[in-house]
Amino acid sequence: MSTHVHGRGPKGPRSRPRTVRLVATAGAAALVFSAGLATPLDPAPRQAAAADGDKVLTVAVAQSVDSLSPFLASRLLSTSIHRLTYEYLTNYDPKDAHAVPGLATKWESSPDKLTWTYTIRSNSKWSDGQRATAEDAAWTFTKMMTDEGAATANGSFVANFEKVTAPSPTQLVIKLKKPQATMTALDVPIVPKHVWEKVGDFSEFNNDKKFPIVGNGPFVLTDYKADSYVRLKANKGFWRGAPKFDELVFRYYKDQDAAVAALRKGEVSFVAGQPALTPAQAASLKNADDIKVNDAPGRRFYAIATNPGAKARNGQKFGDGHPSLLDQRVRHALFMAVDRKTIIDKVFQGHAVEGQGYIPPRFSQYFFKPSASQELAYDPEQAAALLDRAGYRKNSAGERLGKDGRPITYRVLCHATDPNDKAVGQYLKEWWGKLGIGVRLDCLDNVSDPWLAGTYDLAFDGWSVNPDPDFVLSIHTCAALPATPKDTGATDNFICDKRYDDLYARQLAEYDPAKRAAIVQQMESRLYDLGYMNVMAYPNAVEAYRTDQIKSIRTMPSGAGNIYGQDGYWSWWSAVPADSGGSSDDSSSTGVVIGGAVGAAVLVGAGLFFAMRRRATADDRE
Amino acid sequence: MTTETAASPRALAWQRRRHSAARFWKQYRTHRAGLFGLATLALFALLALTAPLTVGSDVQSVTRAPGQPLESPSGEFPLGTDRFGRSLLGLLIWGARVSLLVGLLAAVLSVAIGAFIGITAGHFRGRYATVIMRITDWFLVMPTLVLAIALATVMSRSLGTIVLAIGVTTWPTTARLVRAQTLAVESRPYIERAKALGGGHGHIMSRHVLPNVMPLVLAQTTLIISSAILAEATLAFLGLGDPTVVSWGGLLQDAREAGAVSAGDWWYLVPPGIAIAVVALAFTLCGRAVESVLNPRLGVAR
Repeated sequence: MSTHVHGRGPKGPRSRPRTVRLVATAGAAALVFSAGLATPLDPAPRQAAAADGDKVLTVAVAQSVDSLSPFLASRLLSTSIHRLTYEYLTNYDPKDAHAVPGLATKWESSPDKLTWTYTIRSNSKWSDGQRATAEDAAWTFTKMMTDEGAATANGSFVANFEKVTAPSPTQLVIKLKKPQATMTALDVPIVPKHVWEKVGDFSEFNNDKKFPIVGNGPFVLTDYKADSYVRLKANKGFWRGAPKFDELVFRYYKDQDAAVAALRKGEVSFVAGQPALTPAQAASLKNADDIKVNDAPGRRFYAIATNPGAKARNGQKFGDGHPSLLDQRVRHALFMAVDRKTIIDKVFQGHAVEGQGYIPPRFSQYFFKPSASQELAYDPEQAAALLDRAGYRKNSAGERLGKDGRPITYRVLCHATDPNDKAVGQYLKEWWGKLGIGVRLDCLDNVSDPWLAGTYDLAFDGWSVNPDPDFVLSIHTCAALPATPKDTGATDNFICDKRYDDLYARQLAEYDPAKRAAIVQQMESRLYDLGYMNVMAYPNAVEAYRTDQIKSIRTMPSGAGNIYGQDGYWSWWSAVPADSGGSSDDSSSTGVVIGGAVGAAVLVGAGLFFAMRRRATADDRE
Repeated sequence: MTTETAASPRALAWQRRRHSAARFWKQYRTHRAGLFGLATLALFALLALTAPLTVGSDVQSVTRAPGQPLESPSGEFPLGTDRFGRSLLGLLIWGARVSLLVGLLAAVLSVAIGAFIGITAGHFRGRYATVIMRITDWFLVMPTLVLAIALATVMSRSLGTIVLAIGVTTWPTTARLVRAQTLAVESRPYIERAKALGGGHGHIMSRHVLPNVMPLVLAQTTLIISSAILAEATLAFLGLGDPTVVSWGGLLQDAREAGAVSAGDWWYLVPPGIAIAVVALAFTLCGRAVESVLNPRLGVAR
């Protein structure tokens, strides 16, 4: 569920399994200490440059690649790589995220808005020398419409498509069944037909066997080793201009502290804010030389999701969510007992914004703020009164009883790999404890099994939001529910509400941006009132890079924006290498000293221990 | 007639026990390291038992945390504060309760399993013993930590899970030791006599073998506690413990997750680390001393 908390795919289903996390954590101890111990012996910073003097930009990442096939990938890292290696029809402007030309240079729609004609650029070439044409785009879309395996990641974009044709190499025509507002925000990588038509089963093919992978983006994927590295080479012939760095490497650091240590030593140029740097890490890096911390409003929300009684499209109910949560007053009471301000101050220590509506304030036109009368402000007394009114009263022991007469204890699903989940969970336990409600924090490495089975009461949830909010809105519609309890739907937490669905259909068909935004805000209002998805905070993107290796890099939006996980390829494409190339940071950092000290203490302790043991048992030995 | 001759068999037994306890203590006192370990343990046990009076259970509360997150040591917070602003000194003392409790329970569970399997395997021999000892061998060669991680992962996160995970993975050494001792005891003539007088399996195992392997079991328990405490800390550090329970390993895990290592917030990391090392060392010292007092000829290799 990496997107869940560890940043979700900018689109795509909640990427589920948090694979290999356990192994990662297991290695953490070793990593932390070895990182600490290695430095005093190895003070010279290893500049992240290849031997032949190529300028290499190394980025420390933690998230595993789910698939390198654009038809399957949904995680943030994988989709970012696809942004870098394939062109999409359109791109987002780095300043304000309006649609700008990508593979298409311009686009227009018929008066009834059902036929869209894109002009495809003639100066985009695949890395194997062939020209990228409208035929490639038409083939890509058609494949997604006809092959269910190819519709896994981005199928929602083509669900409304009737026919896609390429009358000429520079012209692409898409016919729609119904109007669709996302036609200039089709986040679908266009793949080369001559390579991909040889692929057999799209649901199995991961595009990770033959390198380099043929693409036409600013970078070409040249090598990949799972959970080790992803290597990309600059595409010198890229139509918008070649990137300034010669090579871009995503290197894996499963432990964030190890990544920070690598940044201090100059082994990596950039630490991805996914998961975000902790407040302590950010504070210590701010004082370090040649390191810049980028703390920008994020595009994610962080919420408590409530199990609304999981059900499938065929009406079959499953899972075992607590029945009291079906009462809207209970859900409201629970959220009113959550002090959002404390979460911002203590857990995020200011690196987040207090939660309101579903979409973060960064997307100002869609941002929704509940009115004074509907707002569920922090008010524990009111919450207790609301529970009393709903018929959930306390017994003599101070425990609130469910309708079955048993004390209520909620199972809260949390990601074992997310420190924020555990921290907020401890607050919830105490806040709800005051209401007389017990909390059992189920922290799992892989939350998808109970999540998909609906065997939880509440859960920590979070999604990255795109400039076009269609996708994050679609995951709460009834249509996103799984077909049967056995299937996996695109749904987030089984919300199915008629009024919300009607609004969803209206916004999708609304071409006027202002009117559409108004409908989206109504949807958020409805979601807020339902109380199934309670947004606590909008966490910032907190990331850091070495200024002696990266001279400049573009954020998105340009004012205060993130660098890693942008909606376009602007950051890595625009990064300018610093001239010096050398790193001056050879003093070992405080963290390293501590690591060394702890290591030494352990060694001394062990030595002492063995020495004493030998003495103590001297008479036992022959 | 002195009181001694008038004493009942029960009083005699008690007297004998008192004497042997005194003898034990006299010999134990000669082991300086053992005394040092015992004193350390007493100190920690005292701290843990009096924790509700000295620091109070409020110290765990995140909503009533007195300080700011990650404050460095000061007069108010001698060991600084954690990521919630709770006093780390208080948490360290409170965490001792969980670490010691889990260590004790896990060791008792492990030794109980080991003793049961060892005695039955030594007593019954034959096919049963062969099968049981092969299972023991299998557990012996399995990496304990990996097995414990696997167990802790599939079960729900709670203290019971940790106790179980450690207990069921560390018993094979005890089983082997106890079986060897059982074989030695059962070859003595009085066992044969007991059998001739009609002693059944249960009687022989519980009345004759068990008292004779008890010293071994006791020493083994003391030794295993230290590794159980380390294992608990390891599992908690790997994030497999209950996140709402304060333990030393859990504190280390919190520190790592808060980024205290790279931020250089040493007060979050060093005290729990040292506490774990010291308590594990103290138990080992005690265990070795007990072992050499109870059975100087045994020379058990770990």
